[in-house]
Amino acid sequence: MIKLEKLNRSEAVRYLGGAGISLNYRMDVLFSECESEILKTANPKFLYLEKSLPDSRLTAGNDIKSHLDGCEKAIVICATLGAEIDRLIRVSQISDMAKAVVLDSLASVAVEQLCSKIDELIAEKHPEYYMTFRFSPGYGDYPVELQPVILNMLDAPRKIGLTANENYLLAPSKSVTAVTGLSKEPIAQKKRGCAVCNMRERCKYRRNGEHCGF
Amino acid sequence: MDFKAYLQNKEFVLLDGAMGTLIQQSKAEYNSVPEELNITSADLIESFHKKYIESGADIIYSNTFGANAYKLKDSGYTVEEIIGAGVRNAKNAAKGTNTLVALDIGPIGQLMEPSGSLSFDEAYDYFKQQVIAGKDADVIVFETMTDLYELKAAVLAAKENSDKPIIATMTFERNGRTFTGVAPASMAVTLTGLGVDAIGVNCSLGPDELEPVISEISKYTELPLVIKANAGLPDPNSNEYDIMPERFSECVASLLKYGVKLIGGCCGTTPEYIAKIKEMLADKSFTASKPVVDTVVCSAEKAVEINQPRIIGERINPTGKKLFKQALEDNNIDYILTQALSQVGAGAEILDVNVGHPEIDEQKMMVRVLKAIQSVCDAPLQIDSTKPEVLEKGLRYYNGKPIVNSVNGEEKSLSSVLPLVKKYGASVVGLTLDENGIPKTAEGRFEIAKRIVERAEKIGINKKDVYIDCLTLTVSAEQDACRETLSALHRVKTELGCKICLGVSNISFGLPNRELVNSTFLTMALEEGLDLPIINPNVASMSGAVRAYRVLSGTDKNSSDFINEYNKASATVSVSSDKKDIDIFTAVCSGLKGEASAITAKLLESTDAMQIVNDMLIPALDKVGVDFENNKIFLPQLIQSANTAQECFEVIKNHLSKTSCSPVSRGKIILATVKGDIHDIGKNIVKVLLDNYGYTVVDLGRDVDPQLIVDTAVEKNIKMIGLSALMTTTLKSMEDTIRLIRERKELQNPDGTSKCVVFVGGAVLTEDYAMKIGADYYCRDAKESVDTAKRVLG
Repeated sequence: MIKLEKLNRSEAVRYLGGAGISLNYRMDVLFSECESEILKTANPKFLYLEKSLPDSRLTAGNDIKSHLDGCEKAIVICATLGAEIDRLIRVSQISDMAKAVVLDSLASVAVEQLCSKIDELIAEKHPEYYMTFRFSPGYGDYPVELQPVILNMLDAPRKIGLTANENYLLAPSKSVTAVTGLSKEPIAQKKRGCAVCNMRERCKYRRNGEHCGF
Repeated sequence: MDFKAYLQNKEFVLLDGAMGTLIQQSKAEYNSVPEELNITSADLIESFHKKYIESGADIIYSNTFGANAYKLKDSGYTVEEIIGAGVRNAKNAAKGTNTLVALDIGPIGQLMEPSGSLSFDEAYDYFKQQVIAGKDADVIVFETMTDLYELKAAVLAAKENSDKPIIATMTFERNGRTFTGVAPASMAVTLTGLGVDAIGVNCSLGPDELEPVISEISKYTELPLVIKANAGLPDPNSNEYDIMPERFSECVASLLKYGVKLIGGCCGTTPEYIAKIKEMLADKSFTASKPVVDTVVCSAEKAVEINQPRIIGERINPTGKKLFKQALEDNNIDYILTQALSQVGAGAEILDVNVGHPEIDEQKMMVRVLKAIQSVCDAPLQIDSTKPEVLEKGLRYYNGKPIVNSVNGEEKSLSSVLPLVKKYGASVVGLTLDENGIPKTAEGRFEIAKRIVERAEKIGINKKDVYIDCLTLTVSAEQDACRETLSALHRVKTELGCKICLGVSNISFGLPNRELVNSTFLTMALEEGLDLPIINPNVASMSGAVRAYRVLSGTDKNSSDFINEYNKASATVSVSSDKKDIDIFTAVCSGLKGEASAITAKLLESTDAMQIVNDMLIPALDKVGVDFENNKIFLPQLIQSANTAQECFEVIKNHLSKTSCSPVSRGKIILATVKGDIHDIGKNIVKVLLDNYGYTVVDLGRDVDPQLIVDTAVEKNIKMIGLSALMTTTLKSMEDTIRLIRERKELQNPDGTSKCVVFVGGAVLTEDYAMKIGADYYCRDAKESVDTAKRVLG
């Protein structure tokens, strides 16, 4: 079990297009309130499974192939904050939309942090391996159609209540599926880059011709 | 022997253990789902069934858990083939024995609305297909369910397409709830009402951890209970479970006292487990569960026991409310949701929902509103309509056990409403009136109450689910009427033993200081035995009277709720604003809601409404917009300012509707998140901003059928439509929607060009793509949507 302790606030501000803005008192209070509600409401759950490579069920398109290039194993991961978070965000959309968007972005941060903790867990269990970053369906040309394939591989609907709908959207919404490669040889540090970033179309850096450096 | 005879004649009914575990152990190979083995390895599956029969199972589950059309999509088999073969294999194994075959049905594998996008009707159709395909089985089992709404669809599909008995079990987590938040009490109450034959728990935990859930369920139902636990927890690597057969059966033995009658095993259990349980049961006898709670209504998350006065909020009702009627006509569901949340915040424990208005389709609206309220609020609901067809729709799509408001002593009402209450397992309000009107005397009303209760009991509705309303008449017209109501109420309560419900505020019509009369009457009625006052909880003296009564009658132990409520209140009152001298422009720019509306109200005494709008509010919003574009403020601040302006507009709207001017609107705009897409926060942000800039938004919600968008545009004569899509997979829906808008004759000018302006937005959309699929405008963010609206509508 993984417990989330503190959420990276500046990351949430960045998601909301406020990079570089320092929070005034009222915003600071709002972020604190939202952070404690997220931590109280989240019910983090995850599953992962080791797969030997190559595995034809996991590979589709070129980007995942280059991502897993040189890896002997892949870890298939899914993680969710649970359905209660969706409800929390839904309710605040009625009562206070400003709070809703802050909750929404902090929840996105929370699921990322959950995934990072899972990465640490995997790294601990496989000290002899180097790891790639997490690669998710929808990145580059890796098709979202793999969403249900990964979920079924992990028995996620039954075990942690994580499902995909007919358009391959994950529900509960604050959830992630991903594939991480394991290699005995050092892996050339790849940057994630804009092509594989979820933020690419609403990113203020990109709009201004800059890059976040991620 | 059939299933019902089993329940009657056998001390315990033994179920089988896991099928999946045996399949895994055998290393049998299949392509996409294990149910394929019903056809490709029929002998193997049959041999597994036989093992369970040999170990003593009275009922075996067919290997059809995931055999629904959604999961079989890529298997190359139909539901009929897989389920037909599955039931046949089990039947073959049971040949020559007394063992019954259960058609096993698990969850569909998609999350239902509101968290997911699977609708109730779609779920129903999946289950219906399975039920019909498995018609040769002796029993229908729904198991491993985590969503009560999905389970309700399943049970209705079974009841309406089969006469087989039904077993329903759900899966709970360590926190005592299912993944979707269902409480055991809600499960028990709802399923008992729907008339299933046995309920219980399966999967997720070992039997040692299920005690809290099973004991909770047993408090709410007389039905025989089912346990089919996992063999503990699986080891993540070896996938082996940690509770052995001996210990498993010991744990189960300790749960028998809760009324458990049907016992088997889930993941990790094998025929040895079943044999051990059989051994253990040999010298045990069945103890029926004794429900301790009286009458309960519930949502999926929350059960409310009517064991003390419970406030029913009356505000969701358009009668006499201009803004509410307008909201219904505009499909403004958020307005209704705000009413729901504010009543619950003020102390309502149940909400009455009435959407009767001649200008709209009441059936559709009732379903829409019930679903929307249940997506944000866990208070149980009371479905209120004079039309049985509206009640039926409401009952069908409600998640939990609702109250029906209402039936009365008229034959027509009794014969149309009560069967619905029975079928859907609801409670019902019985009004003491009939074709001759409201009897003047307490005696007359008591007689009608008696008639209603008798009729209800005759068709199998428990008396405790009938809440009698002895009707409040206006005391200024007939002063004795108050006494008659109270004495009728007292008699019904003491002689019939029913719960009592009463709408209170009619009492004071025509009198000054109505609030005082209402709260005094409420207190009198509570003392006579009123259980369910229907009131406006936002009036502090009304909800306060109920809270005080609970203290004085000893139901609020140690006055803790009371102290909690009023200590909290006095703490917030003392925070007063010392920013009295700020102007409306600053208040909006800084997002100071309370201050801004107070200033607006004050300004309206001396300033023309339109002048406030044009000279103060709009310029303030414009400044905020510029700051946002220049990265001086960011999204939450933009929204706070917009919300603040909205409060000011509300004050102005109220002012204008009092002075009977028409409300200010700069034009109507449809907003929708396209078919298949369930991420709607972006669309909702746009809505808030457009609202605040004075546009009337017709919000069609998310996952919206293109046809509905086009029809609404035609019907309401709307010239501007905003569409949102978050995922690349749903951009196709956006394209389809735009095409449908362009094709519709009524939305075209005589020369064939389009009358409708379509603007689109969403995370994965680009300007180029927007143009390619035929949109008129691409809006990068909410602010650009407002700019576009200004350009198009002015």
